[in-house]
Amino acid sequence: MATNQISRPVEDSIAKVNDEVAVGEDLDFQRKWWRFENAAWVVFTLIIILDLSGLFGRGPIASAERRSADGVFDVKYERIERTDSPSILTVQFAQSAIQNGKIQLYVSNSLIKQLGTQRVIPAPQDTVVGEGGLTYTFPASRSPASVDLALQPSGPGIYDFTIGVVGSPPVQAKVVVVP
Amino acid sequence: MEGWGKAEAGNQPALSFHSSALYLEVLFSMAAVLRAFFGYFFLVMIVRIVGRRPGKQMTPFEFVLIFFIGGLALTAIVGDEVSFTNGICQIITMGLAHYSLAWARTKSRRFARLVDGTALILLENQSWRADTLRHMRIFDDDVIASARDSGIKTLQEIDRAVLERNGEISVSRLQQDA
Repeated sequence: MATNQISRPVEDSIAKVNDEVAVGEDLDFQRKWWRFENAAWVVFTLIIILDLSGLFGRGPIASAERRSADGVFDVKYERIERTDSPSILTVQFAQSAIQNGKIQLYVSNSLIKQLGTQRVIPAPQDTVVGEGGLTYTFPASRSPASVDLALQPSGPGIYDFTIGVVGSPPVQAKVVVVP
Repeated sequence: MEGWGKAEAGNQPALSFHSSALYLEVLFSMAAVLRAFFGYFFLVMIVRIVGRRPGKQMTPFEFVLIFFIGGLALTAIVGDEVSFTNGICQIITMGLAHYSLAWARTKSRRFARLVDGTALILLENQSWRADTLRHMRIFDDDVIASARDSGIKTLQEIDRAVLERNGEISVSRLQQDA
């Protein structure tokens, strides 16, 4: 059975030389491409240098430390976090943070939810919900004393958090979570 | 202690604070297919920039490059979403991305040239195109290896060596006068 197939003559869109099938080389385009490639390598190198320096988290730029106004505690954290990547926020207490053999530490909800607190080390003796966050109570003897919060943010964004010892001015800080 | 929560809560109901950040988070969690889509085009760009050698002129270190890039891309694109549903959706996304790229190539010659590059002459009229060899990170040994594949034993027998768009080096034999 005959079929009507659409057909077109065989032709080469690229000019032929000596009736040979043309190679199709385009050196003008290729030279532009090589220039683009060189620029891309420079950009790639810059990205890696910025990454090593911590601009995208996990490096010297990302590490931050804040001390409360009265020097009762200080917080070491990552000001740039990565989504789904674990990090540690450490709170170090001075002797004046220990009241009646206890430390009461307030953390805002954003530390628990957006910044994804997975564990509190050591486990608190008591936890109270309220004032837009949680207040943990830890039995304590003498300084130096510290508490770690294991964080793992679940998504990118810019988040503020508040952390403080009851009776002292809190520390507020901002964390950028990159994808 | 009083008022510490104000920075986050303000005067809004507790559930709506950080609504924009929450929206971003939800969008991100839904974006597995977007990650696959972006990942596909990012890999196309990287492989295009890294060079044409990985196409056919594969040496062991190029194998490492391809498998390593593939493994790292897999980790970033799949993330912790290891469900069957996600796998199927991401594979379909990759298929669609590939189809759209192939379709765009047929519609625009400029785009095709951008994605594939053009064939490049490496050796012609008994002289090497040194600039092309250097930029494409190809050694004369690579051309000679391709010549041997075509049954050519000496450089003098080569009429022209061309680096094709797929990374293969095609070598044509010089026509001997009768």
